[in-house]
Amino acid sequence: MILRYVSDAFVVIGIFFAFAGTVGLLRMPDAFCRMQSSTNISTLGLYGAVIGGLVKAISMIVEGYELGWTMLIKIALIGLFSILANPIGGHSIAKAAYKHGVRPEKEFVCDAYGEDEFDD
Amino acid sequence: MTELTVFAAIYVLLALLCMIRVAKGPSVVDRAVAADSVDILTDVALVLFALESGRGIYLDIALVTAILGFMSMVCVARYLEGRL
Amino acid sequence: MKKTSFGAWLATFVVCAAFWMLITLSLDPQMLIAGAAVSALVALFAGRFFIHESPFRLLNPKHLFALLGYVLVVFPIELLKANLDVAKRALNPALPINPGIVKVPSEMKSEYGQAMLANSITLTPGTITMDVAEDEQGKAWYYIHWIDVAEGTAEQQGDAIKGTLEKWVGRIFE
Repeated sequence: MILRYVSDAFVVIGIFFAFAGTVGLLRMPDAFCRMQSSTNISTLGLYGAVIGGLVKAISMIVEGYELGWTMLIKIALIGLFSILANPIGGHSIAKAAYKHGVRPEKEFVCDAYGEDEFDD
Repeated sequence: MTELTVFAAIYVLLALLCMIRVAKGPSVVDRAVAADSVDILTDVALVLFALESGRGIYLDIALVTAILGFMSMVCVARYLEGRL
Repeated sequence: MKKTSFGAWLATFVVCAAFWMLITLSLDPQMLIAGAAVSALVALFAGRFFIHESPFRLLNPKHLFALLGYVLVVFPIELLKANLDVAKRALNPALPINPGIVKVPSEMKSEYGQAMLANSITLTPGTITMDVAEDEQGKAWYYIHWIDVAEGTAEQQGDAIKGTLEKWVGRIFE
């Protein structure tokens, strides 16, 4: 029973960060800052729910459902895959945005990447 | 119906809010980033719904959605860089 | 193009077969043989993209415990701090942001270390690594988009971004 409240607490934390990320995605002024807010969704917005799900699966195992093991392993795989894949997507889309010519309306405070322009 | 249904519904609502940015976003990059966020939020809703209904098949779907979202994000990035 | 070494093939094969067994969750011999055949084929083609340097480095217990400590203790704390910071900025009505792209040095020598540090920086909200470049001395420099640029030299900015992460990644991969 206590495990159920622990799992709910983790999911609520995840919902808070997902909400903050969504608000940031809608409010931020330029594309790069929106990317920063979307990282908020893809880290703790996701992991809050994933850890909550893991705790819930453990509580299912404790109660004696065989299905709990399948759930535990598959949720852990989803979490592992996202932690490996999300930074690669973020990095590639940021670089592509800069090379494509996306710039904020208000200038950057400093722009070291534009100063040493190089092609690969 | 337990609290997990409510949490899943909240995640789906947040995904719908992200769709505003997909519709509005001035550049391709905004749309791609917002679409990736929608993908992740739907993923989480699927995980919660699988736990609620007790069917493992939703977790397979969530894993495939996560992989497809990552692949499409990298493909859009490569295309914008002009190397596809 | 580089040829696939046996170590790279074996490491990729083990990862693919483990993934197959976790997904199917059955010990039926037919399933195991099919998975092993597909994994062997995939490892033959993809091994040289997946593994570049020493494939079995993490089997050394010193590196393995450093990795566990990093993944379970050090990184989640940094992640939580950065998440709270960006969430506060997004929910603040005044929207206090100060974005810019900075260039910071990195102490990592190996490819794995550089990749892991860059991915850790990207995964913490507020900073995104955009590119990695090497100067004449072979030292790596990261170009980082930062949501709240602090004043200072490149080294001071690097300390503010990387925090304790660099020391721990160095313990795993150096």
